[in-house]
Amino acid sequence: MMRRLVFLSTAVFWLVVLVLAFTTGNDGEPVRTDRPAVNADKLVTMAEVAHHASSEDCWMVIDARVYNLTAYLPDHPSKPSIILPWCGREASEAYKTKTKGRPHSEQADQALTHYAIGRVE
Amino acid sequence: MHPRHPLPHYRIHLIAATLVGTVVWWAFPQDISSWRSASIITGWIGCGLLLSSLFLMIREPWLATWLGGLEPMYLWHHRFGVGAYLALLVHPLALAADAWSESATLAWGALSPWQEDWPVWLGWASLLCMMAGLVVSLAPRVPYATWRKLHHLLTVSVIFGGAHLVVLGLDWPLVWAPLLAIFLLLWRILRADYGWAAKPYAVTHTQRLGTDMVEVSLRPLAKPVTGQPGQFALVAFLRGPHFQGCGEYHPYTISAIHSNGALSLGIKALGDCTRHLQSIETGVSARIQGPFGTFLEKPPTGPSLWVAGGIGITPFLAVLRNGALAQQVHLLYLHRNESDAAYADELSGLATRQPLLHLVMVDCANCLPDLQALLPAASELLRPECYLCGPDGLVNAAVTVLRERGVGLERIHFERFDFR
Repeated sequence: MMRRLVFLSTAVFWLVVLVLAFTTGNDGEPVRTDRPAVNADKLVTMAEVAHHASSEDCWMVIDARVYNLTAYLPDHPSKPSIILPWCGREASEAYKTKTKGRPHSEQADQALTHYAIGRVE
Repeated sequence: MHPRHPLPHYRIHLIAATLVGTVVWWAFPQDISSWRSASIITGWIGCGLLLSSLFLMIREPWLATWLGGLEPMYLWHHRFGVGAYLALLVHPLALAADAWSESATLAWGALSPWQEDWPVWLGWASLLCMMAGLVVSLAPRVPYATWRKLHHLLTVSVIFGGAHLVVLGLDWPLVWAPLLAIFLLLWRILRADYGWAAKPYAVTHTQRLGTDMVEVSLRPLAKPVTGQPGQFALVAFLRGPHFQGCGEYHPYTISAIHSNGALSLGIKALGDCTRHLQSIETGVSARIQGPFGTFLEKPPTGPSLWVAGGIGITPFLAVLRNGALAQQVHLLYLHRNESDAAYADELSGLATRQPLLHLVMVDCANCLPDLQALLPAASELLRPECYLCGPDGLVNAAVTVLRERGVGLERIHFERFDFR
């Protein structure tokens, strides 16, 4: 019984993973439809960014671009205490040196672009 | 063994419910999507079940007594381990399902080791080790030595899983989960596998009992284990003047308990290690953990039926050697042939001296024992407690016949020695 359960569930798991891997090949760029379009070139001051420093209203500056990450915070894989202190601040170094000096993945870079709301003055 | 004490099984379930409930309660997500919540919850259910499974790996006599014996502990160790595996298979798939609503690329990105980093790599490493370890553990007919080595993949899986949690970042109440896992692993490895809980003994006497059976007597070199007839011990045989044991702990039924703390064990060649032990000599050092088991724990208050197959005679012999019977016993001893009939002469002598013992020995060299004919009729089975010890096939067949003759499960007692 247990043997059958383990073998069957393992087979189903790999089937799902393989289907996902092959489906991705036919899929285009991910499109976020849940956020309104914003002017990502709007100029924002650091003083303005500093006003958005909480979990309910979280802006960050990464490489001179301003991101509104409020909607993303619940999806961040780490515990909140790792990302929350960077709300309202310049966070480029932290973004590039997660887990002992490793930068975030390309996937994260790609996802980040969808939260851009402007540039730092 | 049929559960004579239902309470200890509730204790096992209670421990698992506490561990799973605590971690899920602490980590329960709020205000996030349902698939992401499902991923987090299944991850922590898997973690709680793994902790329960690890807890049941601990081999301490006091814990085994409290939880109803090593047999239910191993049974639930396996069940919780498989349950954890199923939950942990769902964990990454639910994460991908969460991203699927936006695009297949993001869904694959949540799983793909090539697009992620340490937390995902460690998660994959843990899951793959668990997958390989479980498949090997459950595969039929894997030699014990191979099984033993590959079973350690599950240990590696737990370590990777703990690292996965730590790298993701844990709030303080949940930090104890990976710490507890490491603590339980170390407890098992150091106390049981490395023998810190074992007592030192030395082999004082060996006696050939048949073609593939030997009885080994050991005296304690320090405080002895305090076993009862019918119990078993986990014993590792080490070095002697001209003999090197395999050093692994295996279960052996105690065939005699002496007043000075010395023990005798009946050992049948069932694998490489026990086959090598057939040539054991005096002076070999050994380490013993135990005692374990509740078989024949309480002397029957009425007549009883004992059914023994081959080396399964040893727990019954231990009781008979321990003193005169107080109640009537019908002992059915099945063996393959005369040279394999361990203790046959001694049993005949005991039957002569003990009027309450009715001994029937059956030689089944080239036949399956006809239990329908050998077991007492239904009218004679209205009262006796039935104790069975022997190969699985014999025990299962005997249980079937006894059940057909109206014996309730609460009066059928047996133990299996499959501690893989």
